[in-house]
Amino acid sequence: MAKAEYRILGTSIPRMGGVERVTGAGIYGIDLVLQGAVRGGVLRSQHAHAKILSIDTSEAKALPGVYAVVTAADAPDVKYGRTSMDRYMLAKDKVRYMGDPVAAVAAESEAVVKQALKKIRVVYEPLPVVLDPEQAMKPEAPTLHEEVPLPANLPKDARVKNVCAFLTVHVGDPDKAMAEADLVVEEAYETKMVHPQYLEPRIAAARHEVDGRLTIWVNAQAPFGVRSEVAKLLKIPLSKVRVLATEIGGGFGGKASGITSGAGLEPICGLLAMKAGRPVMIVLDKAEETISTTIRAGTKMWLQTGAKKDGTIVARKGKLIFDAGAYSGFGALAGSRATQMLAGWYLAPNVHIDGYVVYTNKQVCGPVRGPGGPQAAFAVESHMDSIAAKLDMDPVELRLKNVPKRGDRIVGVPKLRDVSLGETIRVAAERIGWGKVKLDKNQGIGIATGSWIEGSGPGGGAIVKVNEDGSATVHIGKVDYGTAARFGIPMIVAEELGVPPEDVAVMNVDTDASPWDAGTVGSRSILVSGNAARLAAIDARSQLLRMAARQLEASPDDLEIKDRQIRVKGTPAKSLSLASVANAAHNEIGEVIGRGYFDSKASEAEEKEKGSSPPFTTHAAIVEVDPDTGRVKILKYVAVHDVGFVIHPKAVEGQIEGATAMSIGQALCEQVVFDDKGRTLNPTFVDYLMPTVNMLPRIESVTVAGYPGAGPYGAKGAGEIGCVPPMAAIANAIYNATGVRIRKLPLSPENVLRALREGSR
Amino acid sequence: MSLTITLSVNGKSHSAALEPSMSLLDLLRDTLNYKGTKLCCNTGECGACTILLNGKPINSCVTLAADANDAQITTVEGLAEGDRLHPVQQAFIDTGAVQCGYCTPGFIISVKALLDRAPKPTAEEIEEAVSGNICRCTGYAKIVDAIQIAAERLAGGS
Repeated sequence: MAKAEYRILGTSIPRMGGVERVTGAGIYGIDLVLQGAVRGGVLRSQHAHAKILSIDTSEAKALPGVYAVVTAADAPDVKYGRTSMDRYMLAKDKVRYMGDPVAAVAAESEAVVKQALKKIRVVYEPLPVVLDPEQAMKPEAPTLHEEVPLPANLPKDARVKNVCAFLTVHVGDPDKAMAEADLVVEEAYETKMVHPQYLEPRIAAARHEVDGRLTIWVNAQAPFGVRSEVAKLLKIPLSKVRVLATEIGGGFGGKASGITSGAGLEPICGLLAMKAGRPVMIVLDKAEETISTTIRAGTKMWLQTGAKKDGTIVARKGKLIFDAGAYSGFGALAGSRATQMLAGWYLAPNVHIDGYVVYTNKQVCGPVRGPGGPQAAFAVESHMDSIAAKLDMDPVELRLKNVPKRGDRIVGVPKLRDVSLGETIRVAAERIGWGKVKLDKNQGIGIATGSWIEGSGPGGGAIVKVNEDGSATVHIGKVDYGTAARFGIPMIVAEELGVPPEDVAVMNVDTDASPWDAGTVGSRSILVSGNAARLAAIDARSQLLRMAARQLEASPDDLEIKDRQIRVKGTPAKSLSLASVANAAHNEIGEVIGRGYFDSKASEAEEKEKGSSPPFTTHAAIVEVDPDTGRVKILKYVAVHDVGFVIHPKAVEGQIEGATAMSIGQALCEQVVFDDKGRTLNPTFVDYLMPTVNMLPRIESVTVAGYPGAGPYGAKGAGEIGCVPPMAAIANAIYNATGVRIRKLPLSPENVLRALREGSR
Repeated sequence: MSLTITLSVNGKSHSAALEPSMSLLDLLRDTLNYKGTKLCCNTGECGACTILLNGKPINSCVTLAADANDAQITTVEGLAEGDRLHPVQQAFIDTGAVQCGYCTPGFIISVKALLDRAPKPTAEEIEEAVSGNICRCTGYAKIVDAIQIAAERLAGGS
């Protein structure tokens, strides 16, 4: 639908909560002040793999100012995990990475916490360490999880170990098609571990209430996940746990997924509060955060593609080794997405990909922005250019040749409806000046595409309360860290209720009051909460119109709400203020409370029948490579996206630009570096390099219209897909500039220079 | 050992007893309760804790509180006049430069310092002024827009 049909949707109104953020008034997790609270801290393993022989906490407990010291012995014997229950909140018997929580302390000050942590005596028996997932699969590798069986679906002849999940994608007859192909290209790619490095440190604060309930404050993306996991791990009824979300300073998935991402921070804090008899607050130090919380996993990827002379791809075979880290975490889920995406998002009639998600003695894979996608896309889209080079074909032409059409299937989508891939390629090529722009020496141009098949998942609700002044209070289960919660969602409610956006307030999550939600993850805020908020606002509007109809002696169908007035269409004189109707509700139904629910099952069933319209994107870059230093400078960068109907243009651009910048970081400089013992060598921001303004070009974001998605008004999620293409777009531009194909990230000066020297030999 | 310093924060004078090792950031946040200034890296790398010390932008996490004796401090809480936001604050909202908002106070202070010394900054000056501030959300495009708009509005208003 055209923007003209809406009053508010499609405009870039000031973000709700903006004034609080620019004046320093917003209360983030780290700004919490709890009456009587003491500080908590976590003792972390100094071995990447070791048996715990004994833990002596007596000296720490005896230290003045210490309220509680806890170890696994103080916690219920309960394991956690998403796909495999392989982890305790505090390590028991064994530690599996340097950073594994072993014990925790509550004390009167940060200084006493530190002293007490030093006085906990842990006797370890070091075990052999394995850091490389490919090595970890070998029979001679140490066993990380004695109690976790190998996946039941592993091929019978697979002689592997430490495999936490095995995933496979199979379509058609790839062996036969590969044998019949005119050309077969085979390559191996590798990506490194990166940390999401949201700026606000993770916190948890807990208070054991006099009635026995546990109140927990978190800066987490999934407060309801925290509630259920805390109840489970502390073996207390769910009804005894209340979780309150603070404002959140970034997350990018790192603060998602219940507690698995926080390395057990919330239940540890809850346990401390219960033992200490005082509220406890834990704030992670940034270096502690880098070594202990969840990350984007490193990968090794092998691709073999068969093509015809005209560029038609006929077969794809591949293998993925995905580094889960010390525990299953989100590894199987991110690894599954990467396995699927190695098939590509082009026509691929014959595919076989095997994905091995493997335990290593490193920190744990979490759901970082587009989990699994950017890694796979680096391989897939670099590989496309290698195929084009072998065919002596233009990379844009090769991609366009393999674009699917309406009704086609691609891996992960049984039936496509509107397919914007080709348009994003054409627009990106035009914007970057493909085939036209004059490139100087050492300059190159590159293009890469991407998709992000929005995963299935639970639905979620929204509640719209209409106050007696006509304003609306909205409750959803998702948090605001710069995505839809306080950009698009208040606009949707305002649009449907006929009020200005400033009359709508979206509340933060309180698990006692907010509708249940799976969390602010998976580019699903607009899909789940957006659809639910729209239906809730429509429900509230219907209630208001029914009440107004009686007073105005008209049919509800003849009424409309505009500018805070309910009036008879075409007879503006016959009207009532929204406030008076909302106020009158006190004597009729108590209060106008609209309810809405996004029915994910129904949405999926509809997509199955009519086909779905996943978002597609194409990015293009012009780079300059310094042959003497290996430094890559991006001169121009274009990011073209189909995100369906755009509710808030600046918010969508901001998501695209931010996601792109994150992946440019992974492309050019970011990685977590380990020594051979598994110690992180760059835990602080001094050593962990991230893009600053002077490292990035102005990212030009472009949206293409006309491909409606499953979100409200045809919107699609926009938070993650921007992370998918940048690494390959830049690697392809470097190849174009230098003739050297670099298949390992990051494309740092050191690595580029080495590749240039090897390439020129 | 503790020492007592006096300083002015956003025009209000304070006296505080502190340990010599205390950072200016901890003094502002934990002792004086100016929590608008954000804690992040604690190593002077990210700029989230940027404040003005006698008009100059500094990373308060790596500055000793003791060094702020007799100083004039400006934090993000000190920019708006009543309900009227400072043009830099308003520009950050208007351009969509505020996503999670955690880096925003530090950026706004760095930009205020820039526009105080260079009312018509060049693209290079803008880049240089905020190159010590990390934002993980925006990719910086909207922040650069905000700086340009704030400069224009400040120039137009004077």
